Amino acid sequence: MVTVSATKVITGNHAVSYGALLSRVQVISAYPITPQTQVVELLSEFVASGRLAARFITVESEHSAMAACIGAASVGARTFTATSSQGLALMHEMLHWASGARLPIVMANINRALAPPWSIWTDQTDSLAQRDTGWMQVYVETSQEALDSIILGFKVSERVLLPTMVVLDAFLLSHTAEPVEIYDQGRVDEFLPPFSAPYRLSPGVPQALGGLADPGVYFEFRVKLQEAMERAQEAIVEEGERFGRLFGRFYGLVHEEHTEDAETVIVAAGTMAGTARAAVRELRSKGRKVGLVRIRVFRPFPFSEVRRILEGRRRVAVLDRNLSPGHHGIFYEEVKSALYPVSARPLVVGYVLGLGGRDVRPEDIQAIVDDVEKREEAPEIVWWGVRR
Amino acid sequence: MAFDPTRGLPEAPLSWGDTRWNKTGSWRHMRPEVRERAAPCAKACPLGNPIPDVMTAVSRGDLEGAARLLLERNPFPSITGRVCPHPCEVGCNRRRYDEPLAIRSVERLVGDWAHEHRTVFSPRETGKRVAIVGSGPAGLAAASFLRRQGHRVVVYDRNDRVGGMLVDAIPSYRLPRSMVEREARALEEMGVVFQLGVTVGRDVSVEQLLVSYDAVLVATGAHGERTMGIPGEEHFIGGLAFLRSVRRGQRKPPGRRVAVVGGGNVAIDVARTLVRLGAQPVVLYRRTRKEMPAIEEEVERAEADGVEFQFLTLPVAARKLDGYLRLTVVRMQLGERDRTGRPRPVPIPGSEFALECDAAIRAIGEVAETDFLPREVLDDQGWVVADKVTGATQRKGLFVAGDLVTGPATVVEAIAAGLRAGRAMDRFVRGEPLPVQEKPLPTVPLKEINLAYFPQAARVPIPELPLSTRSRTFDEEILGLDVESARREAGRCFSCGSCNLCANCWIFCPDAAIHLDGDLPRVDLEYCKGCGLCAAECPRGVITMKEELAREEVVA
Repeated sequence: MVTVSATKVITGNHAVSYGALLSRVQVISAYPITPQTQVVELLSEFVASGRLAARFITVESEHSAMAACIGAASVGARTFTATSSQGLALMHEMLHWASGARLPIVMANINRALAPPWSIWTDQTDSLAQRDTGWMQVYVETSQEALDSIILGFKVSERVLLPTMVVLDAFLLSHTAEPVEIYDQGRVDEFLPPFSAPYRLSPGVPQALGGLADPGVYFEFRVKLQEAMERAQEAIVEEGERFGRLFGRFYGLVHEEHTEDAETVIVAAGTMAGTARAAVRELRSKGRKVGLVRIRVFRPFPFSEVRRILEGRRRVAVLDRNLSPGHHGIFYEEVKSALYPVSARPLVVGYVLGLGGRDVRPEDIQAIVDDVEKREEAPEIVWWGVRR
Repeated sequence: MAFDPTRGLPEAPLSWGDTRWNKTGSWRHMRPEVRERAAPCAKACPLGNPIPDVMTAVSRGDLEGAARLLLERNPFPSITGRVCPHPCEVGCNRRRYDEPLAIRSVERLVGDWAHEHRTVFSPRETGKRVAIVGSGPAGLAAASFLRRQGHRVVVYDRNDRVGGMLVDAIPSYRLPRSMVEREARALEEMGVVFQLGVTVGRDVSVEQLLVSYDAVLVATGAHGERTMGIPGEEHFIGGLAFLRSVRRGQRKPPGRRVAVVGGGNVAIDVARTLVRLGAQPVVLYRRTRKEMPAIEEEVERAEADGVEFQFLTLPVAARKLDGYLRLTVVRMQLGERDRTGRPRPVPIPGSEFALECDAAIRAIGEVAETDFLPREVLDDQGWVVADKVTGATQRKGLFVAGDLVTGPATVVEAIAAGLRAGRAMDRFVRGEPLPVQEKPLPTVPLKEINLAYFPQAARVPIPELPLSTRSRTFDEEILGLDVESARREAGRCFSCGSCNLCANCWIFCPDAAIHLDGDLPRVDLEYCKGCGLCAAECPRGVITMKEELAREEVVA
């Protein structure tokens, strides 16, 4: 096979744009918002120049952007959008529609803190607040993974008929340039052929999509949604494997490092996992038995992987750049909940840190490891780096 | 949806089924009422012209439809389209938004169109015979209506031409004679017989008519001129007599400087006519401009013509001197209000002054002549007594209408009275009970118009002769609209309270519960959940929401 790929130094945002380009999306509808704007800006240039044969629908709000995507996907078009924070919150109603109608839309969300007070910096609360909308959520660590996850997102979404949200940290990833391999289109086409929607509206075949369902029917459709999520776990693993064989990069539900004999395990997502990786490697070089679990796919939640990796460890520190006010960090909740059925439960401590884009350095994570290893019980929340 | 979980479901909720099984009407506690109401213009119109519907037809370019609608209520739109003081435009809801619609001008266009496209109407004959005394607007309106019902109609007039005040008083710059002549011709073609030069009461009596005809309408108007009862009264010319002489060709003014006494329509017509004859009229009126009973627009036009007004003045004597008249005039002040609500003018003692002029014309009001009528239909003062709705008198078969009953009024009021009497006579000759007063429909106020649908737009400019030439000619001074301007102007109509099937309710109804399959939108109450969108989005107040009875009340 002839490989005609190019490596470019591009930002995470532009890596997303290239991911959509290589996926040959047919309809894009979006509304600009920092720090996402560059994603659709570059796509609009691709469309304007004719490099991407897609319809770019400009709208007056994110709610309408998602509505337009839903319309396009309802007739079987491969559909893409991107947003962030307030824009994602405004889409909320439409997010339920996209999943309920089983539309394989792929969206990039650039994690940004919700206002007020205004902030444009990274924070996972915007996407995690949409966890019950029936979207798959993939938290990426690098620009390359961002590009790859768009392509994989379409692959998995179109297989299980569920939408995918690919989530990137604001600025740390969205605006940071790093080398990214942009694959040969022919190889991507081989992996991701044109989408043939099994359910679609067509003017010649006038059917109702998502019309009124009486109480004797609605329930069963929700069961189907859950079953699709369960099948998605398998699909993500299988397609990640296949993608790896074609392109040399393997993706799964969770990624682990140095966990084989670890007594203390850090759990993180997004770019913070990269920071934690540096800390873990440093500690390992000093002989500490520390490992890392990066949760890549948050929905569907990878229960069995989390249980398999964390069962029997002594301590687990979950890093949350997010907060569910009145509860905990959200990854912490989910990890604890996953571990409840296991017999050898570790001590799980939840650290909330870096909200609103506050820097989290490798030294902070090393200190968290020191902190968690001293603990014999878990407080409700450990605030890390709060100034007061 | 047409799904059955026990037989397997598709992944996506895509279905051939519909949602008609879900009868959302059971959620409702308010229901839309589709009910046409009166537009304030139509309510203000003595004829009750269906103005919104006429405007809708004109705006769609359907002049034939507009003419049909208009002629149902008004037999002479090309006359009222010229001389009506248009109370409709005062009532127009648009007056309180931007500018009132130019209803009269559109009516004139429709009326003229109807004449140009007239076909002869042949009614089915009933064999009944009616006589109408007086060929003024009241008599002609009744004649038109009764003939259309198939009755033989004979119109008597002591004059040698048809039209009464329309041809003998109203000046031709307001209403050209040809406009009246073509109405008379049309009536003749329809079968109305005119007996001109016959004075009822002299040549033939009312009693004789009552014997010869199944019903008789007397609509002889108010032609008696009031006098002032002052020394030198004989030097004054009567206003109506003056107007009649001019309409019959007199073009020489009675003098250069002419005093005109009075503040009504006759006084203004006289003054403006004098200007056109080259005279300099001065109007003496005992109250102020505000109290003048004349049509406001005509007063403004008189001012534009250069007519001089001396308000709060009253001549108390006249003397003929060597080639001129000297009037003794007293200044007035306004006192307490009289029975009509107007302030009573009171002379200021010692304020007399002399006013010299070449001639003086008196136009202080007209009274009906009733002495030829049977005693039993008159009261002690000699006024005619009749039913307000039907014009029926104490005398079986004798009806009255117009200025004869009301004293001097407008052309449109006379037409309305003639039609009311005509309807009653039609019932009478058929042996049916006479009509009773109809309960008026409630009107739609401006606040019930959804102004979001109506951008502000200026009233069409109405063409007229230039000011510089119009006061020197008896040519018609106000001109007609062209069809395109009339269409645009009619398009400004809110169509208050009158559905024009704009389909907004159908578009907005989230339950597809509105059906447009008749003259009015139909609400399917099986599905209407009473959200009220149709009422909110109806631009013209045709749909209103009504609370339905609570369940407990129904049970009780």
